[in-house]
Amino acid sequence: MAPLEHYLILSAILFSLGIVGVVVRRNAIVVILCIELMMNGANLAFVAYGRFLDSMAGQMIVFFVMAVAAAEAAIGLAIVVLIYRNRESTDLDEINLLKL
Amino acid sequence: MASSLFFYFLAVVTTVGAIAVVAFPSPLYSVLALILTFLGLAGLYLSLHAQFVAIVQVIIYASAIMMLFLFVVMLINLGREEKRELRLPGQKMLGAIAGLAVFSVLLKVFLSTSLMTGKKGSFPLERVSELGNTQVIGNLLLTDYVLPFQAMGVLLFVGIVGAVVLARRRSR
Repeated sequence: MAPLEHYLILSAILFSLGIVGVVVRRNAIVVILCIELMMNGANLAFVAYGRFLDSMAGQMIVFFVMAVAAAEAAIGLAIVVLIYRNRESTDLDEINLLKL
Repeated sequence: MASSLFFYFLAVVTTVGAIAVVAFPSPLYSVLALILTFLGLAGLYLSLHAQFVAIVQVIIYASAIMMLFLFVVMLINLGREEKRELRLPGQKMLGAIAGLAVFSVLLKVFLSTSLMTGKKGSFPLERVSELGNTQVIGNLLLTDYVLPFQAMGVLLFVGIVGAVVLARRRSR
C-alpha cells in the first residue's frame, strides 16, 4: 500500500492544477470544471487521512463536499447559460460590467 | 506491492487527466478528460478501502455531474477558445506561479510531521470491513451526522429551485 504522503502529494497536484486552470482559462465552463477538480483534490486528502487515522469522518465529509459540488455545478451552469443568452459567449474577459 | 503499483498507475492516469482538463482548448475535451480523472480517483478511493465513496464518485461525479456539463457544452455549442490577446498580460505566467505557490504551501502543510501523529479514530479497517463500509456510513449519516445530512438536503433543494429559476426563459 502506498504511503499517506503519496496520496497527499497527488491531492496537492490536483488542487494546484485546478488553481492554474482557474487563473489561465477564459471559458466559464472550464473554470467551473477546474473548481470541481480542486474539490476532488480536497476529497482525496480527506479520504486518505481518514483511512490512515482510522476515522470515518473523512468519508463522511466527502459526501457533503459532493452535495455542495452538485449544487454548485447546477447553479453555475444555469448562470453560464444565462450569460450565454445575453452575450452569445462565455468568455470571462468579456464579463466586466462591474469593472470601473 | 501490487496495490502500490495500482496506486502509481492511477496517480498517473489522474494527473494526466487533470493536465488535459487545463490544457485542451475545447471545453468538450476538457469535460471528457475530467471524467477520466474522476474514474482514476474512484480507483484511488477503492485502494483506500472507501468502497461506497468510490461507487458514489462514479455514479454522481463521473456520470451525473459530468453529464450536466456535457449537456450544457453541447447546448450552447462552444467552439475552441479563440486565440487572441489575453486581457491580462502574462496571465499564463501568473497562473503557473499561483499553482506553484499553492502547491508548495500544500506540500509544506501535508508533509509536516504533526498531522500524522493525530489521535486515532474509532474505526480501524478491521472493524469497518466486519461491519461493512456502506452500513457504517449509513449508520453515521443518521446518527452523528444527521444535522449536516439534513442541511445537505436543504442545500440540494435550494440548488434545484435556484437553477430552474435562473435558467427559465422569461416570458415577456
